[in-house]
Amino acid sequence: MPVLRIEDLAVTADPRSDRPLIAGLSLTVGRGEAVAVTGPSGCGKTTLLRSIVGLIDPLNGTVTLDDKTPPVVGWPTFRSRVCLVPQRPTLTDHTIQSNLARPFNFKSTAGHYDPDRARALLDRAGLSDEVGRSAATLSQGQQQRVCLVRSLLIAPDVLLLDEPTSALDSEAVKLVEALLANEMAERGLSVLIATHDTTQAQRFCTRVLDLSPLCVNKKTVGEPAHA
Amino acid sequence: MPDPTTNEFISHAIALDSWDLSLAAGLVLIAGVVSLLLRLGLEKRLLIASVRTVVQLLLLGLVLRFVFEPTSHWLLAVIVAVMLLAASHSAVQRSDTRFPGLTLLALISLAVSAMLTTIVVTALIIGVEPWYQPRYMIPLLGMILGNGLTGVSLCVDQLLTTLRDKRSHIEMDLAMGATRWEAARDPLRNAVRRGMIPILNSMSVVGIVAIPGMMTGQILAGADPAQAAKYQIVVMFMIAAATSLCCIMMALLIYRRLFNSRHQLRAEHITRHTG
Repeated sequence: MPVLRIEDLAVTADPRSDRPLIAGLSLTVGRGEAVAVTGPSGCGKTTLLRSIVGLIDPLNGTVTLDDKTPPVVGWPTFRSRVCLVPQRPTLTDHTIQSNLARPFNFKSTAGHYDPDRARALLDRAGLSDEVGRSAATLSQGQQQRVCLVRSLLIAPDVLLLDEPTSALDSEAVKLVEALLANEMAERGLSVLIATHDTTQAQRFCTRVLDLSPLCVNKKTVGEPAHA
Repeated sequence: MPDPTTNEFISHAIALDSWDLSLAAGLVLIAGVVSLLLRLGLEKRLLIASVRTVVQLLLLGLVLRFVFEPTSHWLLAVIVAVMLLAASHSAVQRSDTRFPGLTLLALISLAVSAMLTTIVVTALIIGVEPWYQPRYMIPLLGMILGNGLTGVSLCVDQLLTTLRDKRSHIEMDLAMGATRWEAARDPLRNAVRRGMIPILNSMSVVGIVAIPGMMTGQILAGADPAQAAKYQIVVMFMIAAATSLCCIMMALLIYRRLFNSRHQLRAEHITRHTG
């Protein structure tokens, strides 16, 4: 049975516009499965992930977690169970530990911050045991991995990863993929990866969905995202 | 001691005539001459500002003399409405970041906080009968609005700038399961603090660095300095209460407008105005 089900989704990057970027997208992600959505820059991968977690309203369609819609589950709880990790790392200037513990200040986050598990995940992500270090001193690749570890600590059912290895070298990519594979095998974590790297999509994921045919405004496909 | 609710209270003032005002204008003339000698280029601006000061304050004096007479409630309501509209418009114009409908939110915050505080002061503290007696209500309301609009504009600017510039951080919190309140709490708190800074600074140095304008005016008008000090304390507390109330209200109204029930931040409504 799929844990995440997306039906007939239409999304727009501009909440004030009713012009869709992607339309008619249906997709399921099973427990412990990794699915990739691919497509060139500007085709709507990031917008799709933001729409799934409701940071922007989709124009049409439904998203369900275990057959329950977000309003039924409650948006904060839904987002703690279907957790988005954006491409651009977003950390405060405080210590790594403080950043990792931040979600546990939220009512919807189950359990308590476990420093031992945090250290174990950081080690597996190739980050040395420096939880007391300021996050501002980390490279972008290191920050990207800290963000991933922070989301894993919440123990979500589904992880939505937006270009999760865009700032990583090949060694770090291997570590991150191994870390995710371990969480999928041990906890039944499901992963939906948005990537333009088709090689990674085919290597790591069981299914790959190419967004290009669903992209309404095909003129933007192939153009740089920030042109 | 004269009763502050009677005209006897202000009868100790030495009346100023046109000659006195001309002498005071001579002081500005000195500034103008200095500007000419040092080629500061301020003479024209100084002249315009001086003329405006004379015209605006004389007009205000005439209007207030008229308003302070037993007058209709409608006229008083119109004057209060104009003051509130001007204050809310000015509060929003002073902020570089805005969104549609912001002036209405400023009007609600300023109206509720200023009217509430003014009524408490006139009705309960000074004990004016009736509480809306223009001689008391209008100057007090003016002082509250003057300070309140500064607080509101600082609060608005700080909050909207944070919501716009730190959008990715706030949305990251929302994406990890924060409620809209949990995600907005820190920016809201910082914005209210920012709005309160001017009045807190004034309260800290009042009487040490400067004698406040109202107290100076009362003393010059012949009031007992101790009595003027008591009035100034009431005024400072009144301004502090009203400013904190309107900053909190404004921050909460913006929060309700920009964070919806789906726990989304609608930062796309925020625009930046420069110049």
